[in-house]
Amino acid sequence: MSLITDALFERFQKNLESVNGACVRTTAGALAETLVTQMKELGISDTCIALTPLLEEAGVVKALEEAGIQVYTDHIRLHAETAKGGVTEAQYGIAELGTLVQGRDNVDERIIGTMSESYFGVIAGSAIVPEYDDMFELLGNLPELPNFIGFVTGPSRTADIECVGTVGVHGPIRLTAIVVDDK
Amino acid sequence: MASNELKQEIQAALDNSTLARTLGNFCKTYPARRENSYAGVDFEKTRDKIKEVKTYAADHVDEMIEEFTANCEKRGGVVFHAHSTEEAMEWIRKLVKDKGVKSIVKSKSMASEEIHFNKTLTEDGVLVQETDLGEFIIALEGNTPVHMVMPALHLNKEQVADLFTEYTKEKNEPIIAEEVKTARKVMRERFTHADMGVSGANVAVAETGTVFTMTNEGNGRMVGTLPDKHLYIFGIEKFVRSFKDAAPIFKALPRNGTAQRITSYISMYTGASEVVTDKEADTKAKKEFYVVILDDPGRRAILEDKEARQIFDCIRCGACLDVCPAFALVGGHVYGSKVYTGGIGTLLTHFLVSEERAEQIQGICLQCGRCKEVCGGGIPISDLIMRLREKSAQEHPNAVKKFALDAVTDRKLFHSMLRIAAVAQAPFAKGQPMIRHLPLFLSGLTEGRSFPNIAQVPFRDIFPTIRQKIEGEVKGTIAMFAGCLLDFVYTDLARDVILDLNSIGYRVEFPMGQACCGCPASNMGDVENAAKEAQINIEAMEAEKYDYIVSACPSCTHQLRSYPGFFEEGSEMYQRAKTLADKTFDFCKLFYDLGGLQDSGDGKPVKMTYHDSCHLCRTLRVTQEQRELLGHTRGVELVEMEDHDNCCGFGGSYSVLYPEISAPILEKKIQNIQNSGAEVVAVDCPGCMMQIRGGVDARDLPVKVKHTAEIIAEKRGLI
Repeated sequence: MSLITDALFERFQKNLESVNGACVRTTAGALAETLVTQMKELGISDTCIALTPLLEEAGVVKALEEAGIQVYTDHIRLHAETAKGGVTEAQYGIAELGTLVQGRDNVDERIIGTMSESYFGVIAGSAIVPEYDDMFELLGNLPELPNFIGFVTGPSRTADIECVGTVGVHGPIRLTAIVVDDK
Repeated sequence: MASNELKQEIQAALDNSTLARTLGNFCKTYPARRENSYAGVDFEKTRDKIKEVKTYAADHVDEMIEEFTANCEKRGGVVFHAHSTEEAMEWIRKLVKDKGVKSIVKSKSMASEEIHFNKTLTEDGVLVQETDLGEFIIALEGNTPVHMVMPALHLNKEQVADLFTEYTKEKNEPIIAEEVKTARKVMRERFTHADMGVSGANVAVAETGTVFTMTNEGNGRMVGTLPDKHLYIFGIEKFVRSFKDAAPIFKALPRNGTAQRITSYISMYTGASEVVTDKEADTKAKKEFYVVILDDPGRRAILEDKEARQIFDCIRCGACLDVCPAFALVGGHVYGSKVYTGGIGTLLTHFLVSEERAEQIQGICLQCGRCKEVCGGGIPISDLIMRLREKSAQEHPNAVKKFALDAVTDRKLFHSMLRIAAVAQAPFAKGQPMIRHLPLFLSGLTEGRSFPNIAQVPFRDIFPTIRQKIEGEVKGTIAMFAGCLLDFVYTDLARDVILDLNSIGYRVEFPMGQACCGCPASNMGDVENAAKEAQINIEAMEAEKYDYIVSACPSCTHQLRSYPGFFEEGSEMYQRAKTLADKTFDFCKLFYDLGGLQDSGDGKPVKMTYHDSCHLCRTLRVTQEQRELLGHTRGVELVEMEDHDNCCGFGGSYSVLYPEISAPILEKKIQNIQNSGAEVVAVDCPGCMMQIRGGVDARDLPVKVKHTAEIIAEKRGLI
């Protein structure tokens, strides 16, 4: 995988925004600060985080706590019932659709991605493929599929009452993708 | 034949103003939204690929089952191969009991509805919760889905608020955003406390043992993430061989289903994934993962039928519902299966739910063919419905219909009946060219439209009096097939066809032995009479003698072109049928191809719009020639009306059998015509002409409805 280009980022962003998702671009060094800013803007007071090396190295827990936000990194199933925010790292992305892909069987990540009111999906820029077909090609060529793969594109939505589009039924009401430029 | 009960259900659906508004708006805006969602994606290629992968799986279904089972179990799943709906339900019942499951959260599974999952387990004392918002609402209402993708379209926000108020015992306001919040709150509690999640699969991959579920709301993910037991139920039609084979399906499914490029969620489970077993202790383990593959005799019957097996290519997108003019009016409840609705629903109901019900509802299909154009699996849905109609006509012949069709097939009898009718109609026609009211049980026919008079002198008697003037060398001879409407109603139109062809150097003959083309018999599933009529016309038309056969009725043209199908390949009649079929063209196509396009006309300004007949645009695929002919006519300003290729509601005998559905379809057409501001509506089908003229006349509108052949004759001064 190569570094994300401006054009690819813009494509990802545009497509995600077209389905009511938000998208920002940052660097590994500024990731913690970006998350703090985003959560403060939404008035989030507590959040679950499924840590990954990228999130740990960026020092997101410390930064959020210093900003007065309660952070849970364990007992996710318990805390996700009440915590307003949620952060996980997605394994892949699809620029054509603005899709984040959870490509592994980590239940904490699945819970956070599903139950949070405001979900932040962090993704390395180099993990975003241009097309939907590329994603199927990539996953189909894995030696073994993970037990779970989830494509997530924007917040949860419904049009079940009078065909009126409304976001946030069962899943997140807000979804923000945070694309991190690789070093 | 529609029963009284079905007729009442149709009327109730037509009277539901919420359904009319929501479904009407949805279906109206759907084609454009769908097209936008395909920007950059080739639909035809995608569905060809879908057909390829689904057909492969259907052809290798036993291998698919075996491979899927081995691969899913290798990854920690438990698979049960059920050979009947009862066996499936019994196995699940026992599982639920053995595991002490008290509460279940479900995301959408149509297969579970087939096996009466909710009812059976509820009776066993298990709390079964539908979590899809629409399904939740109709469960509270105690109703069945009105649409496969949007189950609660028949209810308005006020009704939903009342249902929620009753359920939560707290006042719910009729504000959609607030109602969605209520559903979120209520359902969270259910998700977090459920013992088992139940899902339906959009696709199951044999090579990897993976099941796919697509949702927008996120309930599918909740069901697969929170409870420590997870049960999938799906039918054997859901298989594809490889993971990559699933790709084209998820490309078409959201675009066809809801005009989205992708839904919010696609979840793929390969065997048992991880769950939290105790939230206080934060312990984790692989979940208990069960799969029930439904392999009932109904599904096997589909596979055994060499035509019907295409039903296995269905991806359950619901596009056939969304473009169906009849469905847009009546919604899904009238289909009565409680599971599957619309075009594909009629077929699935026949095989999987109730043949009896399917026999009644197949009549709702107008045979306009729009479903075939959008079907994600490339299934010829309306053609397969016609096969059901044929089967039903053979197994349960209807005496009155049969008599009528026998009479039509007996050319002399039919023609004498029409001649008698020309005299007998006088009391109703009252000297007017249109009949506005018919007595008693026939009154439904004239609701919202008038009927034309039957001509006093049929065209076959007029033909010998027409002087055919051809300037210069005669280029060839064309035999005219008039069809009933030109022969007995629109005789002037038949004359104009001849004058138009004369003007470009062709002589026209009228073989007197010709009879009804057989389209009405075919439409009612009466293959026997249709075949008889084919034989009569092949012998009468003697296509071998002519350069071309012209018909100014696309339904007749289509029928004539389908004649070879009635005879054994290689036989003499087959050969003759083929000669006739190959030489037969619809008027506007033939006239255009023979050099009829000219910049000529009287120059008198007239604003005109064009209505595409279903058979001409979707079966014969002629859409441009007539527009060019009209557009090049001096004085004509051609404007497109909205939904110009939507059915007018005529559908041959349809307008007689289902006037209550046909009338509102016509109403929409008339509105679109009026909105176009045109003074003249051009058509190429005398059936559409009769229907639309009837509608215009009944409303006293200053709009004329004319056949392309008439317009050419008139504007070029040929009459």
